Amino acid sequence: MPAIALQNFSYAYNHPKKVLDNITISIEKGSFSVILGPSGAGKTTLCLAVAGAVPHYFGGSSAGKVYVAGIHTQESSMQQLALTVGTVLQDYETQLVTMTVEEEVAFSLENMGIVPEEITQRVEEVLAKVGLTGYEKQAVTDLSGGQKQRLVLASVLATNPKILVLDEPTSALDPEGTYSLYKLLSDLNQEHGITILVVEHDIATVLPYADQFILLENGQLILNGTPESVLSFMAKKQIFAEAIPPLWQLKLMIEELATRQFASWHTEEEAIIQLGKALDEEARKNA
Amino acid sequence: MQKIAPITKLALTIFVTIWSIVLQSLPALTALIVCQLILLVIAKVGSSIYKGIASLFVFAAILAGMQYAINNDIMLAAITASKMIAMTLVFFILLATTRMQDLSAALVLQCHIPYEYAFMLTAALRFIPDFLAESKAIQEAQACRGYSPQGNVLQRFFSYMAVIKPLVLKAVTKSETMALSLELRGFGSRKTRSFKNNVTLALQDYAMLLSMILFTSYLVIQIY
Ligand SMILES: Nc1ncnc2c1ncn2[C@@H]1O[C@H](COP(=O)(O)OP(=O)(O)O)[C@@H](O)[C@H]1O
Ligand SMILES: [Mg+2]
Repeated sequence: MPAIALQNFSYAYNHPKKVLDNITISIEKGSFSVILGPSGAGKTTLCLAVAGAVPHYFGGSSAGKVYVAGIHTQESSMQQLALTVGTVLQDYETQLVTMTVEEEVAFSLENMGIVPEEITQRVEEVLAKVGLTGYEKQAVTDLSGGQKQRLVLASVLATNPKILVLDEPTSALDPEGTYSLYKLLSDLNQEHGITILVVEHDIATVLPYADQFILLENGQLILNGTPESVLSFMAKKQIFAEAIPPLWQLKLMIEELATRQFASWHTEEEAIIQLGKALDEEARKNA
Repeated sequence: MQKIAPITKLALTIFVTIWSIVLQSLPALTALIVCQLILLVIAKVGSSIYKGIASLFVFAAILAGMQYAINNDIMLAAITASKMIAMTLVFFILLATTRMQDLSAALVLQCHIPYEYAFMLTAALRFIPDFLAESKAIQEAQACRGYSPQGNVLQRFFSYMAVIKPLVLKAVTKSETMALSLELRGFGSRKTRSFKNNVTLALQDYAMLLSMILFTSYLVIQIY
């Protein structure tokens, strides 16, 4: 059973403008998937569909089915789904509703009806997980952007969801905050087996961690598959090609012109090593 | 003050508001203000609260000045300003000494207000610091574009609207997103909810409630 499965799912906030159009997709348990696509492609809506907010919260009209951990979302409730799917909205500030850090995490647990004695302990555990130990009494408004983002994550993780959905989690973070957030997500994915579905426009930052790319455009699923296959497709068909990381543009160009094949480049280091090797080989050939 | 149950403080807020409306003499209103200031000192509130109170006094003075300019009655102006201070101070006491969650917990458990509504209030309060920060940012942005709050009180008031408008718009979108995010965090299934903090009434709460009721009755009898 896949963690998330959409079967011919279509959705319109206001009929008849389809925002998601006949999407069929399967996301395996324990995978790290990234949704790509230009602004207005329907990325946020797809996230909301997995969380059940579409259609439970927004209404609108839909067709097809969404399954999350085997649960048919339309036949469940958002509260029920919240136990399985943790969602971090793009505007994370509005997801913080209490005054202090520990209260924020406790709020999620109170919503679940956890008894007070257990709450204290679970708050500590989850704050440790996101690296906010020692900030328990801190006012939420005094945290940095990165710390707020971690706090939202903690408050979502408190309920032990199997799936995490994050909509552009790093759009307001500096490069350092972005790096450490993805490091954390990767740990949660690798060590705790949490399935991750994230919308990210900066492809280079997710390349080291992602195992599936999902490319959307105008509400349609253009392609989903390994990062390599989706990136070369984007380059070949010139779909959302401006988002391809510069190093990959170079890689794909060399591969086309020189008929040389590189292994896939997850990090700059890998690119440097492989490019170095290639240049050495060329130099030897010419000598 | 922090040991008193949130519900009692909420009652205090309501009663002080009633008293501020009912009382018409300057000495009585002044006494009410002084009592509240003493309560704040006892509660050992932080310096930011005192800053807020200082600006409250300035605002009240401006209001009094405006009213004096309009109908030339210094007594009426003073009473209006004192009423405003007395009413607003009690909110400062409530906010400075009560945690938001405890307040919402009290509203749900003791006043049986539906959880959704109880939370709206506390969430609105939670966003006040954000809005203050945002209003500063907006003011700076507008200052960069040549906006400057100058001229008489009325001119200033209208130019201040230039700051308020984007703020209100932002507040509206924020609260819309917040309702969604609350549901995404499993909020709303009231049957299963727990509260981490004890919000039950103790002896001192009943004593305070009783004296507030007695005082209000006395005031009402005095007047009618
Ligand atoms: N609440 C809403 N009501 C109506 N239309 C919406 C709403 N949210 C988004 N849309 C529309 O749906 C389309 C896809 O939006 P969205 O999922 O936010 O795209 P993305 O996240 O990829 O930028 C856009 O055309 C947008 O205008
Ligand atoms: Mg979006």
